[in-house]
Amino acid sequence: MAIIEADGLSKTYRVFQKREGVLGALRGLFHREYKEVRAVDRVSFTIEPGEMVAFLGPNGAGKTTTLKMLSGLIDPSSGSASVLGFTPWKRDDAFRRRFALVMGQKNQLWWDLPASDSFMLHKEIYSIPEAQFQSTLDELTELLEVKHLTRQAVRELSLGERMKMELIAALLHQPSVLLLDEPTIGLDVVAQVRIQNCLREYHKRRGVTVILTSHYMRDVEALCDRVLVITRGKLVYDGLLSGIHDRFAGMKLVRLEFFESVPEGLERYGEISRIEGPVVDLKVDRDRVAEALGAILDGHAVADLSVQDPPLEQVIARVFEEGRSDHEAA
Amino acid sequence: MIDRTLRHARLIASLGRYTLAREMSFRGNYLVKLSVELLWLFILLAFYKTVFMKTSTVATWTEPQYLFFVGCHFALNGLIETLFMDGCVDFTELVRTGDLDFILLKPMDEQVLVTCRKIDWGTSLNVVMGGVVMALALYQMNWRFDPVRAVAFVVTFVCGTAIAYSFMLALTSFSVWLVRNQSLMEMWWLFSSLARYPREIFRSLAWAEPLSFLFTYILPFLLVVNVPANVMVRVFDPATVAFTLAATAASLWASRMFFRRALRSYRSASS
Repeated sequence: MAIIEADGLSKTYRVFQKREGVLGALRGLFHREYKEVRAVDRVSFTIEPGEMVAFLGPNGAGKTTTLKMLSGLIDPSSGSASVLGFTPWKRDDAFRRRFALVMGQKNQLWWDLPASDSFMLHKEIYSIPEAQFQSTLDELTELLEVKHLTRQAVRELSLGERMKMELIAALLHQPSVLLLDEPTIGLDVVAQVRIQNCLREYHKRRGVTVILTSHYMRDVEALCDRVLVITRGKLVYDGLLSGIHDRFAGMKLVRLEFFESVPEGLERYGEISRIEGPVVDLKVDRDRVAEALGAILDGHAVADLSVQDPPLEQVIARVFEEGRSDHEAA
Repeated sequence: MIDRTLRHARLIASLGRYTLAREMSFRGNYLVKLSVELLWLFILLAFYKTVFMKTSTVATWTEPQYLFFVGCHFALNGLIETLFMDGCVDFTELVRTGDLDFILLKPMDEQVLVTCRKIDWGTSLNVVMGGVVMALALYQMNWRFDPVRAVAFVVTFVCGTAIAYSFMLALTSFSVWLVRNQSLMEMWWLFSSLARYPREIFRSLAWAEPLSFLFTYILPFLLVVNVPANVMVRVFDPATVAFTLAATAASLWASRMFFRRALRSYRSASS
């Protein structure tokens, strides 16, 4: 049975259109213009217990709005959702005890106090038994290697250290569902990898269900098998990460290394993206790869070859662009 | 229900401990705050002393009675500022930045978390100072202990605090729609100033009588200090006490409903 279900979830905002200049501002006192913005448009999906799903989309696509509806922070304009069997926006205490939301750009720890004081407050708020609290805290501080930092005021921690503390605070009550909104934003590669490892390990140990939004494809590749792609409020893809290439990449990257110099006439098989000595990179349509390779191998002496999917960033960027073009055309 | 109440009481106690710890990490600021409050009480007392040097009563209140009134106001206002003021003022910022998200995610009552999360220990001394001024007034008027009046005072003092709190919560709730709420908090200061004076001041002037009616029966701000001060050192009128109890229940209910309605309109600022 699905742990998260969204059915036709939509959110429309009424946004004030401010006029330019002093005169415009004065006019706005008496007559205001509003625009309806459909941030999320009839989004439907289900997520099974224990899944780790990436939720991808460009800025303003509706990812965070969807997460906020699923966590009960805002009411939808239409549609329904169920998380852990609860309607999120009713905000039952029993529901709020079993999930956590981490927002990479926001801070929930007490700024002037050590993180350990915020953790103690969480213990009180979530009524966590002392033994469970201590063992979870030990486990998480060890996983994230921040045991020595918990007595330091939060404002004196680096961004990466602060994010690790945020993650600990979110996991202390052992949530069944974890919503992560860009948890590695602004972090250096080392901190990113540390957080990825922690999430992977924690997921393995506890089987927590995770929805992750991130602009870093490394996070997605490291953690998620399944991907939801949203652009302009609409869900345009729901499937395996590997399937994104099949559906949107359209071509493969073929690298050929010849025994002699690169022969002429390779353009007929695809687009040449790089030539360096005897090595050439070709972008070949996915359904023509076998035919192209057969022809090249028949006609030329090839020392080495590889066929790869293009980098995920490029494919995702293309998906986002297509979504934008479709929207503008509509 | 009892378990939930106890859990919230424990949480408020914890919040109190942590805010005190934070306040202590900025010692200088804390000491300046205490000095300012002390100076403010001294100025108030000096002002009323000067007034009573020219007259024996103000709107039928004698000097010791008025001194008790001032002490009661100081203690009640101190309690409101210590427990709720910072949290309520900060609510606007929580809405504007979207940090209210973290409060709404917690499995606790949102109203308790919003209004009690920032206990301001810098104003807590006002409660003690108000108590000292009240004790001094009772001593000056040779007040003899009356258990009925004492209990009625405690009950109506709590009611006064609850009415003022309800009003503050209602004003705070507007932040969800207005996002900037400074003018409404100015309104709080205006109405809380009303509570600083005996109701008889408005009753003695014909043109001010409608104000007395408005702020007694519609927005019962004039009950906040007047009723506890009256039951203790002047007239103990059971009907007024009963009305105050009813007004307290109505204010708490209405402000809670309004706060919950406001939360339903919360849009959560973009992250």
